[in-house]
Amino acid sequence: MSTRVERGASEIVVGEWPAHPEHTAVLEARGALLAWDVLVDSGPAARIHDLALAAEWLWEVYGPEAAAGILGGATEVEPSADDWVGRVAAYLSWAEAWWPASAVAGVPALDPAVLSAERAVALAEVEHVLDDPDAVARALSSLSSLSSSESADPAVLALMVTVAELAEDYGVVLPEAVAPRQSQFALAAGIGARGDGVIVLSGSNAVDWALVPAGVVDAGALAEWTVARRQGGTFLDVAVVPAPGLSTWPRLSARLGQFDVPLDGTDDLGRFVGSASVPPTVLLLPPARRVLTVYAPDFADPLVSSDPDTPARRAAIIAHAQARVGAATSTLTERLAGSR
Amino acid sequence: MSTVHAQAEAALPRGLLIAQAWSVLGDAVAPLSNASGRPLARTVKLILDPLVLRPVLNPGFAAAAVRIDHVDALRDRITAAGPVLAATAAWFLVLKKERRRAGITDGNPQDLYFQRCYELATEHGDPGPDRAEVAAGVLAEVHGQDGPTVAQLRDFVADPGHAGELSRLLDAAWADPPQARPTPAAVQPADFLATCPDPDPDLFDALVADLAGTAGAVELDRPGTAMDHGLTDRVQPARPALGDTAAKQSLPKPFDRSIVERLFAALSSASRTELGAVPGLVRREITRSARPWQLGEEPGRVVMVLGREAIAGLDGAPASPGAAARLRSRWEREAYVHRVLRMPSAAPQEVRADVYGVRKAYLRRLWVRLHGRELRRDTVSADGLWDLLDGVLRSVILDQRDRLRSALERQSSEGSP
Repeated sequence: MSTRVERGASEIVVGEWPAHPEHTAVLEARGALLAWDVLVDSGPAARIHDLALAAEWLWEVYGPEAAAGILGGATEVEPSADDWVGRVAAYLSWAEAWWPASAVAGVPALDPAVLSAERAVALAEVEHVLDDPDAVARALSSLSSLSSSESADPAVLALMVTVAELAEDYGVVLPEAVAPRQSQFALAAGIGARGDGVIVLSGSNAVDWALVPAGVVDAGALAEWTVARRQGGTFLDVAVVPAPGLSTWPRLSARLGQFDVPLDGTDDLGRFVGSASVPPTVLLLPPARRVLTVYAPDFADPLVSSDPDTPARRAAIIAHAQARVGAATSTLTERLAGSR
Repeated sequence: MSTVHAQAEAALPRGLLIAQAWSVLGDAVAPLSNASGRPLARTVKLILDPLVLRPVLNPGFAAAAVRIDHVDALRDRITAAGPVLAATAAWFLVLKKERRRAGITDGNPQDLYFQRCYELATEHGDPGPDRAEVAAGVLAEVHGQDGPTVAQLRDFVADPGHAGELSRLLDAAWADPPQARPTPAAVQPADFLATCPDPDPDLFDALVADLAGTAGAVELDRPGTAMDHGLTDRVQPARPALGDTAAKQSLPKPFDRSIVERLFAALSSASRTELGAVPGLVRREITRSARPWQLGEEPGRVVMVLGREAIAGLDGAPASPGAAARLRSRWEREAYVHRVLRMPSAAPQEVRADVYGVRKAYLRRLWVRLHGRELRRDTVSADGLWDLLDGVLRSVILDQRDRLRSALERQSSEGSP
């Protein structure tokens, strides 16, 4: 399959640049950015901004002949490599950001400790092509520690031995901090259960992944909302399913029209819930604006996505993740997902 | 770029040649290799390039594409170096073992020991029965038991016998700062920046001879200007205090640092053996603090002017070609990578990566690097200057990512009900 090479004034673009951030894996290489669509897996595209630097390693991505073509001014090349340098490291960065953990869709959460360890090892293997000369040390410094049940897995043990050796080679003292875990949930449950009253309006909307940090909201579940009249007032009630394996607890909020509801409680089902008194004018919202937007205020502004392809794209990513969990060709991180 | 094009027909990527020649050396060099069997990035940077291939003496090995008629010579050089590289690898294992035994965790072992191991391999061959002794000696040297220490610095400035003299020196240096001469300006900083990423050494020398760095520091005395550069929190730079102590975590802006704080980082690093004795260090730092850009040498000041000029093009009108355009392209790439990595778009205010904040952080980090190099007497030259200008922006950007991540985590834990 031949690949197009476009030559602009300040950069050379090799292949089809992926269109959507949420299924794009990137590798920041020396002299070029590599990216590919994780759903297509058709080999990476490159935006080369410094050809002299990239010349050292382009052959590892596209094969020596195609690399020579790119360097020599060809407008089309035939990449030969089946696998390419940096694929695993970039894929795990994608998974860290966009893995659609969802109890509803049956996509188990990835273990952040296994992921960060596997990613550090993968980065070390391709250190010679990376833009950041300290990428490996940086990755090693941000590892989180494993729980004892995870360390019992022989594959994880082997991974940890490799990580320890790397840490020694790079002079990094591994941190011992333990990330907070699911147990926080049980404590928080029971607060802010939704009130009843007379339900006037209700609906459910998907959560835009780009508006909340990774691993916070169930990627497959819909956020549910109701407008209810009770005790002489009008209330907007919202409930959102958290991601399985949620370990961090960011500030979340939801917006319907111009009305904001902080999601500061948890109900009996372990969902993020919030309730706010709203003026009765909420009932005047035209149907098109009766869309709930869930967002993390410290993370993103609540812009309503207008891209009609978004639901299909999300479904495709979830299907991709479902297929990866059991697959033999997956990363260790994916194979272990949901196994604890 | 054009040189790469022209040579591509009859040339092979240098990375490919090195990888092939390296793989022939086998397991003996595994300690200098990564898991995919390639020489580690630092093996190339610290050993193969400067000590084996030596592109300065062998210009045919310098470019990213090696012409066919140099290919055999390059392979031969690596093959011929096989035994000494194997011994280097063996010494690296010995040093790592000794480091572990001594409980040393300071610094990156590759950075600190690779060249020492090559020296040991050249001098002794493979590690012999006295390996542990030799290794302990190297570690003692590298980890600076010989160099000046933070404790010596504290004692020196606290000694009443010196304190008065040092204060008078500071007063005198700041009472009568050297005046900048108007410059003929034969060469503009932009002329030099346009030649990046392969900077023209003659243009750099001309800027240094013109005192372009000193001339570019004049405006720092205007109210608010040094603050806009991110170098101080004061309206105008003022005489620094002598100081008595410092904490690595909470250093003030560069011009607001006391003399002790300015020396602190260098004295607590693994490379402090390269520093002179404490009394001279302190007196030179006092003089330096009153000079333009609060740096002691003109090349460093010129680099501050170059950095300021190059980073100014981060937004707005298209940046001029060369360094400014390349820095801008890095900045624009970051905006894209940011979205792909699902980094926050509405960051907490204190870490929001706005352009203005980046410029300040850039100049601040550049100053710290230049100041550190002056202390190590590592004079800046045109060679490697683009890597410095580019590397500072990369480092500022990556730190911002780290700060965004940790701010996110902090808020998450604070947000728990």
